[in-house]
Amino acid sequence: MPEPVVSAAAFNYRYPEAHAPALRDLDLELEEGSFTVLAGSSGSGKSTLLRALCGLVPHFHGGDVSGDLTVGGLSVREHGPAELAAVCGTVFQDPETQVVMGGVRSELALALEHRGEPAAAVARAVEEVALAMGVAHLLDRRTETLSGGELQRVAIAAALAGRPALLLLDEPTSQLDPVAGDELIWLLRRLNEEWGTAVVIAEHRLERCLPAADRVVAIERGAVVCDSPPADFLAWAAAEGGALATPVARMFSLAGLGPVPATVKQARESLRATGLAEVGAPAVEASPEASARRLAWRRERRPAPALQAREVWLEIEDGPRVLAGVELRFERGEKVALMGRNGAGKSTLLRLFKGLQEPTRGRLDCSGEVALLLQNPGDYLVHDHASEEAGEAALAAAGLAGRGQAHPRDLSGGERQRLALEVVLSGGPCAAVLLDEPTRGMDRPHKDALSQRIGELAAAGAAVVVATHDTEFAATFADRVVLMGPGTVIADGPPAEVLAGGWHFSTDVARTLGGAGGALTPEQGARLLARELVG
Amino acid sequence: MSLVPVYRRRPSPLHVASAGATTALCVSLALVCALYDHPVVVVAVIVAVIGAGLAAGVGSEIARAARLSVPLALLVTLINPLVYAEGNTLLVRGGSVLGHRFDITLEALAAGGLAGLRVAAFVMPFALFAACVDPDDLLRSLRRVSYRSALTAALATRLVPVLARDATRMGDAARCRPHPPGRLAVARAALSGALERAVDVAAALEVRGYSAGRRSARAHRSLSRHDVRVLTAAAIVVSAAVAGKLGGVAPVASYPVLEITLGPAEFALSALLLVAAAVPFAGRSARLGVAHA
Repeated sequence: MPEPVVSAAAFNYRYPEAHAPALRDLDLELEEGSFTVLAGSSGSGKSTLLRALCGLVPHFHGGDVSGDLTVGGLSVREHGPAELAAVCGTVFQDPETQVVMGGVRSELALALEHRGEPAAAVARAVEEVALAMGVAHLLDRRTETLSGGELQRVAIAAALAGRPALLLLDEPTSQLDPVAGDELIWLLRRLNEEWGTAVVIAEHRLERCLPAADRVVAIERGAVVCDSPPADFLAWAAAEGGALATPVARMFSLAGLGPVPATVKQARESLRATGLAEVGAPAVEASPEASARRLAWRRERRPAPALQAREVWLEIEDGPRVLAGVELRFERGEKVALMGRNGAGKSTLLRLFKGLQEPTRGRLDCSGEVALLLQNPGDYLVHDHASEEAGEAALAAAGLAGRGQAHPRDLSGGERQRLALEVVLSGGPCAAVLLDEPTRGMDRPHKDALSQRIGELAAAGAAVVVATHDTEFAATFADRVVLMGPGTVIADGPPAEVLAGGWHFSTDVARTLGGAGGALTPEQGARLLARELVG
Repeated sequence: MSLVPVYRRRPSPLHVASAGATTALCVSLALVCALYDHPVVVVAVIVAVIGAGLAAGVGSEIARAARLSVPLALLVTLINPLVYAEGNTLLVRGGSVLGHRFDITLEALAAGGLAGLRVAAFVMPFALFAACVDPDDLLRSLRRVSYRSALTAALATRLVPVLARDATRMGDAARCRPHPPGRLAVARAALSGALERAVDVAAALEVRGYSAGRRSARAHRSLSRHDVRVLTAAAIVVSAAVAGKLGGVAPVASYPVLEITLGPAEFALSALLLVAAAVPFAGRSARLGVAHA
């Protein structure tokens, strides 16, 4: 039986000036070399638990602590973050603020130098961790020149340089595209298997992490509500209403199939065993004729579009070509998901439509006001009180009625985002509403609420265009998906057509069913399976 | 594109030399600006920095910093005659406000011009420093002296572009609001965001063992030929500047009459500064190695 690397007994923590405890009666043991996923809704206490494990709670944040919590045999009540750094590495959500030094090599060396390791040992450790994390080619780069994905890898490498027994990660994939996010999770799994490093990862996109996990700890209101292997956790989550269940688990649960699978592979095997491997209609393929007919119909019949880009180019001096002849037309009332990998030009296109940037060539037409919500909703909130940001009606629409005196920075992430959206919409009816990555770090209930708001805006006559990496969310709200390659549109059509047959840009349900019947969401998949079962 | 130069590793003697050596050269050139306000000497410093910058491949960075310094120099030039009314040559007779006469004299204007030139020249060695000295190497070399101060300086260098990006983002967000907030509100929010960033960075430092307070033993590094040349250049600049100052070279008197001495000593000092700045780049031994497949 391996020794626990983390051991908590009746551990409680309350932030300074908070009324309710952030962690309650925590009893937990994590074994050496385990891969644990922390699940829970926004504000449930996942990040606080990670901060307790690395010693920031209570030594950095202050507050009241009771009970015991030991990490690598060190009590977090008696040992601060600097001592705990020898046994645990920590990576927070935003890589921009945890990379401290100007150069990658110096960044990887920093923790070891703080420990007083000899220079030769530091150099060797840096070389080894760089090779293990696939960042050796970045060693002589400046940190400000790295992409988000590269910066995240460097931050993880820096946390691992001292070979800690435990690695803590707080939503490490929230700023990455599906490709980079999947790569990161599998890299962590490889490190976990080859180095024996125990990994604790807090994530909202459980479908991404569960295939790599040995165990899931679900937290609600600061208390552990489920602690079990992924399959048992999913059965529990399905029974609890499905807010934490993965899309495939929800599909199985809705279709009345069991046992609930933890991975797409298990789901396929389970369907094969039930004789449902070849379900329903074949994948929806985009025929050139159908696409041409749809485009011609759009051009001829519809009134003036809400937004239109004609041969739009954007080239940067001494930089890459960001947009290359983009042709797009968004109609009023359309709900569009704009997808593509990091750097494909999604955010740039939204900025051009709003007029924050000028194209180098081409033409952009808007038939009215354009509202744009950029990636960081906090950037919109500049006053001391929420009531100064928006009127009473807007506060009510954001679900903040009666909280006008709250400081915007005291609001939760979801509340800030709703408020920022109402702020940009407060100018009156818009021809188009553009949202840039609105679901980063958002749990499912908040995504559902956002999806509903998008529906209301579209029903009011606005074209709603959402740049997102979140395929599951896109499948929920969109009636059209535009997939961008580097600077160009590479697919444009209904979600069932664009997402069902994809690999990375596809939902788990579509992957499980092989794109059958164009089913993307758990509800669509469950209906398809139920039909097959009846048939 | 940032007006403040940012370090990028390049194949030049100033980049290859140790951070301490290149810093010494930049500080020595700044010292000349601190000791002299003689226009020929100050212009020599500017030319020396531009020449060294071009030879080191950071000409565009130096040019951007020069553009940044021009408004500052103009401001000093224009304010000086409004503050000082000394000087024998009256150009404009101004009125009297609250008992203070606002007369503009040729001498005050010239003194303002010299001070502005000096300010501009003072910016240049620091631009060369920012473009050619790796802040991480500098931190490593200063670790024995004052580790925490050096780390703070390195952090500040790292965070300047991050905070600039934050401020730009907030400006964009303000432009997206139907009723944009005032600049003061945005500036206040940007400052508050910077403080939040600082707290996050402090947390990141804590989990990297910052408060453990131990230090690695310094790896011994012998002086390279580039270190020797750059340090020699710095020594020449400092020796010439101090000796010249002690010998009364390049005196300037602004009031009551502008007097600028233009003799062989001033030109010799300026020439020596230019030669010193060229030392790191001169000769075969200044060349860098060539990679062979």
